[in-house]
Amino acid sequence: MSDIHPEMQERWILRTELLWAFGVGVFIAAALGMILFTALKMSINPPSNVERIDPKTLHLSGEFAEHNLGTTVGSDGSVTVRAIATQFMFVPRCLAVPAKRLVTLRFASPDVIHGLLITGTNVNTMVVPGFVAQVHTEFTSSGDLLMPCHEYCGLGHSEMWATVQVLPDDQFKPGPDGRIACAQR
Amino acid sequence: MHSDQPSAADSPLEVADDVDEAALAGAMRLVPLGAAVLAGTMVALLVAGYLLIYILVFIPRGTVG
Repeated sequence: MSDIHPEMQERWILRTELLWAFGVGVFIAAALGMILFTALKMSINPPSNVERIDPKTLHLSGEFAEHNLGTTVGSDGSVTVRAIATQFMFVPRCLAVPAKRLVTLRFASPDVIHGLLITGTNVNTMVVPGFVAQVHTEFTSSGDLLMPCHEYCGLGHSEMWATVQVLPDDQFKPGPDGRIACAQR
Repeated sequence: MHSDQPSAADSPLEVADDVDEAALAGAMRLVPLGAAVLAGTMVALLVAGYLLIYILVFIPRGTVG
């Protein structure tokens, strides 16, 4: 660049860098704007719940005792699903949920760190011993969805999965105790 | 050097090209622009992929929190 004055070259580099920084700034602002818009207007947020539970005793009594696992419809119509993620299965192995209604999913682990996602949805969380993992969601269409463990939890990890049975409104009929299990097919 | 070893200059590939200073200056002006265009295109493709997945996959999957 013998014919370009060093000062001109510096200026050209500075101009390019400023242009690049401006482009990056615009993208960051747009990405943050999209995140804020989806969070505030569409209720799409990372699941966040800090709620402690004793992993040594959670199966003995209280919310995650065996008789309380599965889907419960409250007197106010709210749907809550409780399940335990343990080596190497989810209890229960099938979760019945209604389509197009707000559902609260609650998970706990008595042993090691697990994780789960529900295919085709944005449900995706870790299940850490000592904490209750809680996710609110709405299933948009009915059908059977796969819910695998997605955090390596031991030798049987690949066998650890459950089914989420999303039922249309006319088939989602809880019993008098407000509980509902998966339909046998 | 032994006399039976050829000089590097014997091979046309090893001999430096004649450099035209004006052509070199022209190329050196264009190369940074090409790098900027290449980097810009790649970043734009990456951002487009992110936006497509966000808008066509993540958003339609619906509410979570």
